[in-house]
Amino acid sequence: MDNTTAFGKVIDIIKPFVKNTAAFGTVGHETRIIEDLGVNSARLVDIILAFEDEFGIQVDDEAADRVRTLGDAVQMIMQKTAPAH
Amino acid sequence: MLSRSERIALRVQEGVSHGLILLTYYSLEAWLRSRGYRIPDLRRVRREFETEMGPGPGPWLICANHLTLIDSLVIQWAMAPGWRLFLRRDRFAWNLPDRHNISRTWWLRVLGYIGKCVPVLRQGPPEEVRRTLEKAAFLLSGAQTVMIFPEGGRSRVGRVDRDQVTYGAGRLLLDVPGTQVLCVYARGVGQKDYGDYPRRGERFFIRAARLEAQTAMTGMRGARDLATQIVAKLSEMEAEYFEVVDR
Repeated sequence: MDNTTAFGKVIDIIKPFVKNTAAFGTVGHETRIIEDLGVNSARLVDIILAFEDEFGIQVDDEAADRVRTLGDAVQMIMQKTAPAH
Repeated sequence: MLSRSERIALRVQEGVSHGLILLTYYSLEAWLRSRGYRIPDLRRVRREFETEMGPGPGPWLICANHLTLIDSLVIQWAMAPGWRLFLRRDRFAWNLPDRHNISRTWWLRVLGYIGKCVPVLRQGPPEEVRRTLEKAAFLLSGAQTVMIFPEGGRSRVGRVDRDQVTYGAGRLLLDVPGTQVLCVYARGVGQKDYGDYPRRGERFFIRAARLEAQTAMTGMRGARDLATQIVAKLSEMEAEYFEVVDR
């Protein structure tokens, strides 16, 4: 899976939780999930669990806490789905 | 993991709070009464709390719906008289209020301290929320009572808002095995929507019910499952309330 595909899937997962839909039109890797998109912080858990289901990964609390931007989410997913060497 | 100084600070706060509990409790009760607030059939309500909680030790996690800034005060008032809380200090519940609400004035900060409040920054960074939950878990592990509002704030829809449920209550239950859950539905009979304070002269409907929340899941999924069960119970209690009111 490449970065762009992961980004697209992240967007699809987060979309239902976004309150600031205007900001959703210009999202990038630096877009902050809570501050810019208006996602309720309590819903971050739902988003992380959706990542787990979608990408078949396990995310611990510490890794979940580090996800602040869309780019953080993509980076975490890419790391966890990267084939082990 | 809490630092030693954080654990000591909580114990000191507990000690100060207990030392002042009669003054705090009866002053606040006088204030509540001065605004005309009443809990009809208060004795029966208190018996209900006693029956549901039993005489044994905690820890107890009280999970309540949330409509006004003074819900925790009203619930504590309903739970037991001040002298009883003096004798059973573990039943005087810790609260996790929004830091913005509790730090508006110096006297609110003092009241929050002696009222066993551990402020939480709503919508704050996850690590800060986690820190507050660690404090609550520490208190529960010492068989204390902690009151939490699983909706994460006052319901903007005036009813138990399942869409806003936070999973902190579930996480606490996972982190401190053996914690018992008491769901409390409290509502001023004239309370149509959320607000800062109930209208003057308000009468409160209050019900308490123990919940056997269980899950086979762990981590965030387990926390979500448990919190969902709690909010479902609160919704059920709310439905019972409106069934009676609408009759």
